[in-house]
Amino acid sequence: MNVALPPFKERARAALADRTLKLAIDRTTGTAEAKRAAAVAAFPEFDAARARGRAIKDHVIANLGHYLEMFERNATASGAHVHWAVDDAEARAIVTRLCLDAKAKVVTRSKSMLGEEIGLPHALADAGIERVETDLAEHIIQLAGETPSHIIWPAMHRTREQVAELFNASHQPPPEADDPATMVQSARRVLREKFLGADVGISGANFLVADTGATCTVTNEGNAELTTTPPRVHIVTAGIEKIVPSTAHAMALLRILVRSATGGELTQYTTFHCGPKRPGDADGPEEMHIVLVDNGRTKMLAGEFREMLRCIRCGACMNHCVVYRQIGGHAYGGTYPGPMGSVLTPVLDGLAAARDLPNACTMNGRCAEVCPVGIPIPTLLRAWRRRSWRERLEPGALRAGIGLWAQVAYRPALYRLASRIGVRALRAFGRDGWIGSLPLAGGWTAYRDLPRPSGRTFMEQYRDQQKGRK
Amino acid sequence: MSGQPQPTVGLFVTCLVDAIRPQIGFAAIQLLEEAGCRVEVPEAQTCCGQPAFNSGDDRDTARLARQTIAAFEGFDHVVLPSGSCAATMVHGWPELLAGDPDWAARAKAFAAKTHEITSFLVDVLGYAPSGRRLAASATYHDSCSGLRELGVAAQPRALLAHVEALEMRGLPGNDVCCGFGGTFCVKYSDISNAIVTEKAEAIEGTGADLLLAGDLGCLMNMAGKLHRRGAKTRCFHAIEVLAGRADGPAIGEEA
Amino acid sequence: MTARDTILNAVLAACPAGDARAVADAAAALLDDPDSSRPPLAAPGLPEAFTLKATALGASVERVANMASVPEAVARYLERHGLVGLSVQPAPALTALDWTGIATHDHLAADEPAALGLALYGIAESGSLVVHSGPDAPILLSFLPLHHIVVLRESTLLPWLEDYAARLEAASVPRNAILITGPSGTTDIEGSYVRGAHGPGFLHIIITGTDDIPE
Repeated sequence: MNVALPPFKERARAALADRTLKLAIDRTTGTAEAKRAAAVAAFPEFDAARARGRAIKDHVIANLGHYLEMFERNATASGAHVHWAVDDAEARAIVTRLCLDAKAKVVTRSKSMLGEEIGLPHALADAGIERVETDLAEHIIQLAGETPSHIIWPAMHRTREQVAELFNASHQPPPEADDPATMVQSARRVLREKFLGADVGISGANFLVADTGATCTVTNEGNAELTTTPPRVHIVTAGIEKIVPSTAHAMALLRILVRSATGGELTQYTTFHCGPKRPGDADGPEEMHIVLVDNGRTKMLAGEFREMLRCIRCGACMNHCVVYRQIGGHAYGGTYPGPMGSVLTPVLDGLAAARDLPNACTMNGRCAEVCPVGIPIPTLLRAWRRRSWRERLEPGALRAGIGLWAQVAYRPALYRLASRIGVRALRAFGRDGWIGSLPLAGGWTAYRDLPRPSGRTFMEQYRDQQKGRK
Repeated sequence: MSGQPQPTVGLFVTCLVDAIRPQIGFAAIQLLEEAGCRVEVPEAQTCCGQPAFNSGDDRDTARLARQTIAAFEGFDHVVLPSGSCAATMVHGWPELLAGDPDWAARAKAFAAKTHEITSFLVDVLGYAPSGRRLAASATYHDSCSGLRELGVAAQPRALLAHVEALEMRGLPGNDVCCGFGGTFCVKYSDISNAIVTEKAEAIEGTGADLLLAGDLGCLMNMAGKLHRRGAKTRCFHAIEVLAGRADGPAIGEEA
Repeated sequence: MTARDTILNAVLAACPAGDARAVADAAAALLDDPDSSRPPLAAPGLPEAFTLKATALGASVERVANMASVPEAVARYLERHGLVGLSVQPAPALTALDWTGIATHDHLAADEPAALGLALYGIAESGSLVVHSGPDAPILLSFLPLHHIVVLRESTLLPWLEDYAARLEAASVPRNAILITGPSGTTDIEGSYVRGAHGPGFLHIIITGTDDIPE
């Protein structure tokens, strides 16, 4: 997380004030939600497929050491070079060095959230290497100088009118119209030249197949293959949790990943990369490097956030999150936004910097309901809240308030007295049934009225009734 | 129920009903008695502890949980007019006390006999109201905890279907959170406001006379927003309608 | 300590290594009863099921009697789209055909208008075509052209994704194996679907019948 960012609440306020942002978010998430619902409805076995997917991920996580070594062995046998990175800095250093060793002037990149997580875009710029983002959305945000606001639709925060402005300023010749089809054609033309002239292509991986040593990428545009095939060197960066035992296990996960992400059954291109160009092959890179990245994952494996390692990065949780749909991805301030990001960002950036994220959730549970691998996101968010409370990161006023309330709530007689006094006091603030403004409850009454209590608590009235009955 | 012993129910009215809308508690007693239960309201109840639980304060939540379990575990059933508080007791408390050798089993047993009221009436008692009539149109919002943690969805609708002349209208996004979220709505009031604004628009869009739901917290949030917006929608807890008490003042109306 | 050791030690400390045999058995058991968690085929027959899926994705599909009928079908397609010339994958099954009347070539331009390739398999469940890299199979042939025409032999149709996984893993895995499921597309601008993002905007599949000429 960028320490220079304003606090979460300010970021959220700014996002809420941006009506264009809201329009952009609604346009994409609305479609995504409807398409996922249709895909699930058309797949009666979806719940069984989810259970299987979850079991596969749990199996891999429980035997991660075994599978990492198997993957390394098989990838090496295929001719790929396997590198290991403990953290983001080490991962950046490895990739940058590989690019410099290849004397790379131009690097094409196929969208990878792990690349964002380890700060690859900046590292390449710092090394003086031209980086060309080839995924359409990544191309858009590269032109805008932004970071992804969604893990599936990185440019979700931009309306087509805003995309048209960017393309008009940077595409030569500019697109002739601002409808998505015309703009996509314009990007196709501009990027086509770049693909064939790149020295290094960098991609991520949706799966690392242990028993073949292949990496698997799923994309819709075809940019991944155009990124990984022409350059002399192909570099894959992947988190260590991306392992699956075999291709068949990957297939089982693909069925739930794609439906949950875009509502499709498969992406247009499902690609398995296994080593560099073979003797006689018509095309392909001379070298393939795979960088396996930990960056907090072994810490999660050892602790209460292990279940988060099941995440297959489909983005369904954010598409269905009421908070994400109001503030968008950038307000979260981390690499990963939305519910899954609120679990991951404290791991990556530290709880002190990210304590708002697990708290800025209504705990409505819709994210867990749609999660294809059954991650109990609200439970994990609550675990962060628990740690935040234990580490005294919560504001003093809240701690004092909860503490005082608990002292009273633990004493029913005192509680009865306090609530009797409380509701009578509360009544004094309102009229005609409603309270429009209330000291210490500005968060409520700034936006909505508070029903005025009738003046006597239920318990008072109930006791009176009981006396009357006797 | 003849021949069988009358089931005893400990009613946990919830802190919000106690303070803000006692009518819901009386509607609960009426329905439970109509359904053949002997209802008691133990004095030792205060709150399920959600404000502390959702703030990460487990110690205070556990203390409240133990006290409440001790006061209620003698009943055949524990019933609440709130899916949210019931879910805290059914799922939160056993999780919280799982490591406590003296309380883990008690919390589990307690959870097993704790119910949200509409699901208790339908699933456990097989109750259906009779002779109720309300000439109005209404729409129903599914409160999240009840819906997702306790599976409360069909039961309130099945009960409401017995109210004569009541026209139920579908609410677009009926299963989408209203933005209440307990302490969330004051901690992150700007975001909460944006969410409840959309909810209010959806409710107004149905043109229904009444908004019904199963949780007073969500109802206060939505009713408060609707009133601020000048909407005419009247808001009731679903069991007030089921108990034939919707002829009285709605939430925010004075008697 | 190397990064590799640091990571593996941390992994094994959290999740101690199990018996390799037991792990393999558990992994295999996770794939038991595949029917319980995959969708039914769109139609009872594989070509019909495949065709329903592929056309729903925006591909066009035509069926011909055998491989010898392919050039004629290709010529019709080219004419329909006002295309002249065609890059043909240097696969013997394709180059052996009689291309009289069609200007074929074997190179690929950066903006190749049309190319013809041969699928190794088709997958009925998803309407996917499978291509593998190799000496006579350039990967870019499936990505550079605007119009991608693919010959799919009916005999190579597989019902499910798992059937392909089994075939892939039984042979030596190629450098690049790709499942192509519909023409290239994107939803990156406001979620609206646009065909032909970077790869082919048109995917035409010619399914050849079982009375194939011998290869």
